[in-house]
Amino acid sequence: MNSKRRFAVVTDSTADLPDEWRARYGIEVVPLKVIFGNETFRDRVDMTDDEFFRRLAGATKLPTTSAPSPGEFAEVYRRLAEDHDGCISIHLGAQLSATAEAARIGAQAVEGFRVEVVDSQTVTMPIAFLCRVAAECETLEAATAAVEARVPKTRVLALLDTLRYLEMGGRLNRAQAMIGTMLDLKPLLLVADREIKPVERVRTRSRAISRMVDYFRGELPVEHVAVMHAQAPDEAEKVAAGLRAELPGQEILIGKIGCVLGTHTGPKALGVVYIKK
Amino acid sequence: MASRRPAGVDGPLFKQALLGSLNWLATNHEEVNRLNVFPVPDGDTGTNMLLTLQSAVEDIKESNAAEVSKIAKLASHGSLMGARGNSGVILSQIFRGFARAVEGKSSLTPRELAVAFEEAANAAYRAVNKPTEGTILTVAREAGRSAAAAAGDDDATVPSVIAAAAAGARAAVLKTPSQLQILRDAGVVDAGGFGLQIILEGMLKTVEEAESFHVDTTAARPKAAQVALDLPEGGWGYCTEFLIDGTNLDLDQIRNEIEALGNSVLVVGEPELVKVHVHTDDPTRVIALAGGFGKILKLNVGDMSTQHKRILDSESAAGRPPRANGVGLVAVVAGSGLVEIFRGLGVDAIVEGGQTMNPSTQDMLTAVDSVPYDEVVLLPNNGNVILAASQVPSLTKKKVHVIETHSVPQGVAAVVAFRPERNGADNAAAMKAEAARIQTIEVTHAVRDTRSNGLKVKKGDVIGLINDKLEFAGADYAEVVNKALGKLGPDAYELVTVYRGQDASDDEMANLESAIRSNFPGLEVEVQQGGQQHYPFILSVE
Repeated sequence: MNSKRRFAVVTDSTADLPDEWRARYGIEVVPLKVIFGNETFRDRVDMTDDEFFRRLAGATKLPTTSAPSPGEFAEVYRRLAEDHDGCISIHLGAQLSATAEAARIGAQAVEGFRVEVVDSQTVTMPIAFLCRVAAECETLEAATAAVEARVPKTRVLALLDTLRYLEMGGRLNRAQAMIGTMLDLKPLLLVADREIKPVERVRTRSRAISRMVDYFRGELPVEHVAVMHAQAPDEAEKVAAGLRAELPGQEILIGKIGCVLGTHTGPKALGVVYIKK
Repeated sequence: MASRRPAGVDGPLFKQALLGSLNWLATNHEEVNRLNVFPVPDGDTGTNMLLTLQSAVEDIKESNAAEVSKIAKLASHGSLMGARGNSGVILSQIFRGFARAVEGKSSLTPRELAVAFEEAANAAYRAVNKPTEGTILTVAREAGRSAAAAAGDDDATVPSVIAAAAAGARAAVLKTPSQLQILRDAGVVDAGGFGLQIILEGMLKTVEEAESFHVDTTAARPKAAQVALDLPEGGWGYCTEFLIDGTNLDLDQIRNEIEALGNSVLVVGEPELVKVHVHTDDPTRVIALAGGFGKILKLNVGDMSTQHKRILDSESAAGRPPRANGVGLVAVVAGSGLVEIFRGLGVDAIVEGGQTMNPSTQDMLTAVDSVPYDEVVLLPNNGNVILAASQVPSLTKKKVHVIETHSVPQGVAAVVAFRPERNGADNAAAMKAEAARIQTIEVTHAVRDTRSNGLKVKKGDVIGLINDKLEFAGADYAEVVNKALGKLGPDAYELVTVYRGQDASDDEMANLESAIRSNFPGLEVEVQQGGQQHYPFILSVE
């Protein structure tokens, strides 16, 4: 842990934070939960993504997800208060989950400890990028300002193999999205500005992937970028290799999405996620 | 009517001549229908021309105008609004050229009549992007040339000029197979050209006998294409149409006053007879206003709100918010499943029609005017509808982009590419590009023996068309589809979407699906209920 830093960085499991960053920066991760029937699992603690998708494939009923409780956040903040002056707590977009709200309420329960709760408006790796930006700042004020300036620039470009999971989870209205119900479409979805909207509707996966990369090119320059996937490592590797060839010098990470996000994307999701410059 | 020897063509004679043409075409249009180059079961050139001509004479029947120019103008407008299919649209352009040529004239000498025929043909050539010889265009031109040659005689008469035009048309029709390979292969003459020949013959019969045939306008009129709309709650008013019969009518003044009471206003005609079309919330006021100008004839008021509401209720249009780009979507589609697919993809208004029933320019115009957007993308989805659709932009104040989709698969691809946050022009460009990527295979049965594209076809054979071109014939669906997919080269494609027609049985569907899967394991196969008529299977390959 950085001895000079007097504030802590907290996030939740949907940040898909690389283990290496977690160790290097001492970032606290509060898990969301996945519920199969009457069994509850903490995301990335009690269940890995591989176990999750194996179980999802065999499930007769889709799992549900839930945010951490305010009490769970309060517990973390109370522990951090012992050796920190404050913390920044960066979470899954409030349009998608009650997590950020639970963090806010939990923070009120810990008197005398300053908690800056940030609604990232996004999901997965862009939250991890925000955590790294915060961790590399000298002061809590600087970290909060740097993170809040980047929140409106976070983007998740996602290609789902099926919209079934997103729709069941109530995160998408097909009629509004002009996606229809008859044809098997592969919409390219964009999470930005507190919304999930389709930016392209495509009928085949290979074209959808090339459209995703085209769209991303139009968004350059970017400050941070990663390729995320759920059980689609080869395609993720291919997209990342293409981007590395086009963007020499740019760090391009590959990551796997966790169980909670996987509940809504289903298997074979693929995404390019980034923070615009 | 008493027999007379016409010296010139005046309003009443031209009116009679057109009614005679309509009568003669009504008698013969089935013969025109049978001249389809492909042995597909939807030959409808004759029907399209008949409906276009019916629309051309619709308003003329009410007119007692003495001047040939006024009758010609009504025919021009009527045919344009009612134009269906490529031949119908070209026919409407022939009327338009004729009307321009006779502008301001009360009566035509034989020489002037011949000039008008030639001008009519020229106008038709200009209206078509790439004129093809061996079609109705050639026939119109040859009719005009023959008429001009006959008019040069010292003793030329109106009947002699029309007789020459009809004879020129007949000779040109017989030559069409020597100009077009597809006609030669199929052993037919050009259907549209033959239709024009019949129209000229009908005129000739009339002027020779100088008496009108009884015209039964109610005869065998196919069901008009239905316009089904998906609209928000609230009034869309009444579609109000009528004629004003008066003297010295001021069209501009009428148009201005009616525009204050509604939208989609069309005011056309002559100082003695004006046609009015308006969508208004208060038809009573419109009618009272118009009544001040002259006598109201042929009043027709349709309650658009009720009509739309019924459709809304039954379709459960899941409260779509207004689209950010302000661009509406209108598509020509037939078949319950296909209508559902297009609606699901966000199409605001469906004009029912396509392969079996080509909608008119008016049908598409009504749909375009009815969607709550000032900019509209229109998808004809059939080669025979494209030309009629391309007339729509000039008839409405809305900005209309016509994407020239030749088939249902192209239409689906175009709609899929539509993005609600992108402007109309950019959407149109992207939709056009996506449609062009799609290969269409259509499968049906031959309705007669024929040769086409070097292929011998027997009546009843399963035939396969790739992108509107007859390519394969065989004993069953799977065999023909296998050959067609093989020809396209399956390695270049990922996905085959099969739209199942209403005549395809469960077994036929299952056989076809498993044949594609086993013969082309690299292709994904998706089956959709299309519900289309006449084509048991339409395949989209991408």
